[in-house]
Amino acid sequence: MSELRFEALNHAQLANVDASFSAGTQVVVGSERDGTDILIELAAGMRRPASGRVLLDGVAAWSNAGTRRRIACLCAEEILLPARNVTGAVALALRARADDRSALSVLDHAGLAHFADQRASALTSREARAVALGIALSHREPALLALHEPLTVAGIVQEDFILRTLSKLGAAGAIVLCTASRLEDAARLGGNACALERGLWLGSAQARPPLSTVTLRVRTPEPRRLAARLSEAPDISGVEWAGGQELLVHGSELERLAQSVVANARAEAIRITALKQDAPPLEALAAARAGLAQAYYERARSAGNTTSQS
Amino acid sequence: MNGVRIGMALARERLRGASAPVVLFLSGAALFAIGVLERQSDAESAPDDALSGAAFGIALPLLAYLVSERVCAGQRLERSVDGVARYGTNRRAALLGVLLASALCTALGSALLTVAALLGAHAPHSPSLASDLRTSVGIALIAGLVYALYFGAASVLCKRGGGRKWALIVDFVLGAGGSALAAPWPRGHVRNLLGGAPVVELSQASAWLALGVIGVACGALSVVSTAE
Repeated sequence: MSELRFEALNHAQLANVDASFSAGTQVVVGSERDGTDILIELAAGMRRPASGRVLLDGVAAWSNAGTRRRIACLCAEEILLPARNVTGAVALALRARADDRSALSVLDHAGLAHFADQRASALTSREARAVALGIALSHREPALLALHEPLTVAGIVQEDFILRTLSKLGAAGAIVLCTASRLEDAARLGGNACALERGLWLGSAQARPPLSTVTLRVRTPEPRRLAARLSEAPDISGVEWAGGQELLVHGSELERLAQSVVANARAEAIRITALKQDAPPLEALAAARAGLAQAYYERARSAGNTTSQS
Repeated sequence: MNGVRIGMALARERLRGASAPVVLFLSGAALFAIGVLERQSDAESAPDDALSGAAFGIALPLLAYLVSERVCAGQRLERSVDGVARYGTNRRAALLGVLLASALCTALGSALLTVAALLGAHAPHSPSLASDLRTSVGIALIAGLVYALYFGAASVLCKRGGGRKWALIVDFVLGAGGSALAAPWPRGHVRNLLGGAPVVELSQASAWLALGVIGVACGALSVVSTAE
């Protein structure tokens, strides 16, 4: 069973990504701005990580040709290999993979035979990606399929063909790592979902909780007494006092939290000189966005399942 | 071996097109014309002047530079094989194939340019033409091969293979002298083989050896500095 691991990976936007994937479909929700394109290139061994490691079955694909041969990939931008025409470019790619099939049969299988005699430079970027996807999906026994937005070329390559092939390869033990910027695409690809948010990795567990805690900064001349009183209040989940006249009070709902702080202070006749909401950290905001995305994704998926059942 | 062949195929596809033969033909025609002008000026020294000046001094390094730029697709040498490495081809093998193709093309082009320059510089039925052609074409083949490897090694330096430009400039500037500073660059040794001033008093036999060492060192540097 294959395993893909990102260990303390830092490269361009990607910040300290730690994740591992096993066989089956894995969808990373995010856009190129979030670093999904770089994630795919690193997974495919096309770039050397600036720091950290990317390992497929314990081997860095970047520096091992044998491992790269077990990977099929589709990048955000594809430039076909230089050749007279598309057939020549595909034939050279197949030779590089030590695949003895004919270029025409690969193109035909993906429904792209009409491109065969065209000049590679005459293809649009979307058509070039479609041809590259055709080459990737023709891999006989991939350990990893690293595909950037595979469903954006649906229409040139049949969506049904893409989904069927991915499902078949995933079932055969390959890791199918796809990215999707549209939640509908993520839902159609299925499998486990996780997210990249401006380079920050949000695993499926992290992606779920929305902004669950609210923090208030409370200034008072008697912080010790107020902290003691608030620590027993049911609406308050935590109180921090690091010395000085300021307390950090945590809870789940802003209005109830503020009311509770004021009521408890009044009950003890403690004066409050300032009360304001603490800005949440960027990580919490990112997690909230991803949580929202996850909720939409799951709703879209369940709606898709209902439609297909009916 | 498959990787080397794929590298050669990649380089061949990049060199394909009308522009390469056209540039070679125009360069050959220009060298022929320079040879004729040299002959009209001084028939005795015309072959030497045409070869050491225009052919080996300017045309050959420029040809090697252009071929190197083309086979690397304007990239660093190791990045130029990324397209096939992603499918599992060994980068080092593919790179070796690219270098081989580049070396063969440059050597062949250099030989053709040398023939053009000599045909212009010699009178049509000159008795020394055949022996001059034999010697000079041999030097051109080796010089072309070494220059191709030299620019290949320079292509692993700087962004987008910018080391190639620096290598051209350094060869022109430092290689023009006869001091130890000229020893690491091909120009001075090629000049020595053509009968010009030697580098640090090296004999012509040593100049052959020096060119061989530069070629092997550059080839090894290109391969070793690249990941599998």
